[in-house]
Amino acid sequence: MNRNPLTLFTGVVLVIIFVLLLFTFQVRQTEVAVVTTFGRYSKSITSPGFNLKWPWPIQRVYKFENRTQSFEKKFEQTQTGDSRIILITVYAGWKISDPQKFLIRFDGDPLRAEQSLENLIRNAQNSVIGRHQFGDLVSPNPADLKFDQVEKEMLVEVKDTANKEYGIDITLLGIKQLGLPESITTKVFERMKEERARLVTKFNSEGEEQATIIRAEANRKRQEILSKAEAESLVIMGQGEAEASKSMRVFEQNRELAVFLLQLNALEQSLKERATLILDAQSAPFNMLNGVSAENTKSKSGQ
Amino acid sequence: MISDRNIQKNGLVNLAALVGVGVGAGLTARYLDSAAGYLSMLFIGFGFLVGAVSYFQMRLEARERAEKMEYDELLRAKSASALFDSPDAESFPAQRARQQFERVFVPLFTAVLVILQGVVVYWQWTALAKANPLKIERATVGMALFGLFALVLFLLGKYAAGIARIEKQRLLRPGAGYMLLGAVLCGVTIAGLAAGLMGYPKVDLIAARVMVVLLGLTVIETLVTLIFEGYRPRMKGQVVRLLYESRLIGLLGAPESLITTAAHALDYQFGFKVSETWFYRFLERAFAWIVLVQLGILWISTMVVFIEPHEQAVIERLGSPKDKVLEPGLHVKLPWPVDVVYRFQTRNLQQFLVGVVPDENLEKEKVLLWTKAHYKEEINFLVASRQREAITNQTPSDQAVPVNLLTASIPVQYTIQNVLDWAYKHENAAEMLKHLATREVVNYLVSVDIDEIMAAGRDAAAKELQKRIQQTADANQLGVRIVFVGLQDIHPPVGTSDNAVAEAYEQVNGALQQREGRILSAQKEAEEIVPRARAAAADRLSRAESYKLMKISDGLAAQGRFPNQVLAYEASPEVYKQRTYLDTLARALQKPRKYLLATTNTSHVINFNLEDQVRFDLLSDVSVPDEDKDKKKK
Repeated sequence: MNRNPLTLFTGVVLVIIFVLLLFTFQVRQTEVAVVTTFGRYSKSITSPGFNLKWPWPIQRVYKFENRTQSFEKKFEQTQTGDSRIILITVYAGWKISDPQKFLIRFDGDPLRAEQSLENLIRNAQNSVIGRHQFGDLVSPNPADLKFDQVEKEMLVEVKDTANKEYGIDITLLGIKQLGLPESITTKVFERMKEERARLVTKFNSEGEEQATIIRAEANRKRQEILSKAEAESLVIMGQGEAEASKSMRVFEQNRELAVFLLQLNALEQSLKERATLILDAQSAPFNMLNGVSAENTKSKSGQ
Repeated sequence: MISDRNIQKNGLVNLAALVGVGVGAGLTARYLDSAAGYLSMLFIGFGFLVGAVSYFQMRLEARERAEKMEYDELLRAKSASALFDSPDAESFPAQRARQQFERVFVPLFTAVLVILQGVVVYWQWTALAKANPLKIERATVGMALFGLFALVLFLLGKYAAGIARIEKQRLLRPGAGYMLLGAVLCGVTIAGLAAGLMGYPKVDLIAARVMVVLLGLTVIETLVTLIFEGYRPRMKGQVVRLLYESRLIGLLGAPESLITTAAHALDYQFGFKVSETWFYRFLERAFAWIVLVQLGILWISTMVVFIEPHEQAVIERLGSPKDKVLEPGLHVKLPWPVDVVYRFQTRNLQQFLVGVVPDENLEKEKVLLWTKAHYKEEINFLVASRQREAITNQTPSDQAVPVNLLTASIPVQYTIQNVLDWAYKHENAAEMLKHLATREVVNYLVSVDIDEIMAAGRDAAAKELQKRIQQTADANQLGVRIVFVGLQDIHPPVGTSDNAVAEAYEQVNGALQQREGRILSAQKEAEEIVPRARAAAADRLSRAESYKLMKISDGLAAQGRFPNQVLAYEASPEVYKQRTYLDTLARALQKPRKYLLATTNTSHVINFNLEDQVRFDLLSDVSVPDEDKDKKKK
């Protein structure tokens, strides 16, 4: 008997919880709910709060995400208007605009909704890209780019269908990635490499050119300096000779002696280095050897 | 006294309940992605295996009892018959079957059970690391279902445990133990789900880990029992303990037995009946109330919330968010589930990378080279090429697209500025921000030149990208502030083995260095040539000056000497001339080689070899260059 109040209290609490679970439901700000009665659509609840319902199987509540959901399509190959092949990934932001339609079309399964959206977006993407040139998507001149326009065109193509048929509002759509198929990527790599090779050759040649110019300029300067020095030295030497010539007057006192002395000087100077002389015994002072030679001959024959 | 048939029926009902609840718990756990739910299902599954073996053993024992009764009847009817004088084993097939079962099958089954439970422990422990997040939105349904499972298991388990205790039916005990434990674990799963609803979804995972540990302990206990069974002394008439029955499971399945055990332990320790004191009796009486009050306090504690310094929180009343954002500190709210708090780390700097898929192992590398990929996956961004005009003249089939490729790892750092926008505008705001940022990067790069962005345009590009990402984030109401966008890791792609693009870029740098080297080498030579020329010029001038001075000096010397020479000459012209001549000749002929022809016979022909002989004394002035020095110069 002592346990009765406790059992009663616990029982009441459990019953209240159970009744609340059966007869009420809560819709969060992030959710939108659809209530069906015996499988037939009754109402959609788009504002958050506490709500009442009949227990299952009379009524059933389906809750869906009310916020913008993101979805990314596969990296897909397509062709531009000028027949260039590219790879493209498109992403989209979508939210449920008509919960009833969303429930009917996809059983409330977001994955099924995204599969349908993917097909819709793929179709729009390929058709819009096919209308544009490659240069509209990639260009060194920003004024030529139509990147934003391409995205807007895609969004316009899918928005109405998604709204009317799927109960989905596509709020944004953008190109997330652009690429090239592997075979073309290899070609681009090859070209980029060749571009660099060209630069390598250019820089090597430029280096050679600059070096040659610098060397030539240096040689020119050397020649200039040496030529100037040569000319200047000749002038100086001339000055020296001019100065020296002033002293020549003294030789006028005895011209014959002067010439004799100059000859002697010249002779001495010319014999300074590596000279070989063949002299006969008549030359002075070697003529003095003649007597000695005769005496030696006589003494040898006397013996 | 309940008949054997009724007890067997009870065993069968328990088995059916374990199967039904096990399947139900498994499906519900799958519906909820509840890790604790899966573990509960596994425990119930093991309960089914143990219950099935017990049930089989129960039938064997019942057959043995029937056989014994038949034998006793026959003994009474034909007491003198020789047929029954010496009963052998062949006469009791049921008994023999039961003995064989206990001797062979039970240890074998217990060993298999240990292995199976061990495998499950290992599998679940590793699987829990990658467990899917709990589907909180389905928690209420899950709580109701698990409540139902717990009720079924509790009622049937309690009944079976009661019969086992009263009727001494030990074979009902293992299954009953697992059923009661299953009820407790379903209760724990409900608690985990409730915690998830209160904003603590990890409680489910923690509960699952605790269950894995519990299963591990059960494995150890059963293994120890199995080993010790081999060394146990056998006594005739002793009831054999069930090897596959876990005491731990029995204890956890009936917590009140834990209290009884604790009371016995206290009595033994203190030497008097602690369990008979008024305090202990009060505790025993009021235990349920105390637990209830504790739960009440726990519920009331949900009215208080502490927000950490790096956090902000949003409070929802019955699903509808209040405008006021909770700042760090203490806050009071209505209890769960009326008010629910959602926390966001708004003040933490958050970051993601655009253009790459990070790899933990590669990130540890300390040197980042263009020629080696340093991420798991690197995206090749298309960038514009300045050579477009030339290339677009090609036919479309050439496919030489007018672009370059660029690899970039662009960190984008941000903080949450408007927590309401962050929480309520997008299902996954972080992912949406990444989409938008990547789009802006792609959009920006398609209009810039690779060389420009990798050099002078890098800083401007980073600033422009930060501005654009902020604008698009604002336009899409993400509620973030972009703090930093970095273009530090932007470079040409690694390329392939045949077309190593990054390496080609490095070669360009090498060529630039080589060009500079050549220019510097030429400048070095120029630096040498010009001063040398200046030195040679100076030498030449100096020699000219010397010559000039020499000429002047010679002139002056002659001017001073010649008058005196004239005087000497005039004194004796011939002698002076001869003397001067001979003096000069003597000086001049000191060094030259001389050949003197002393003969007077002119008819002889004399040949002179005047060819220059090698003069080794000349070589003394010649130095041989040092080979080592030459090599160094080269």
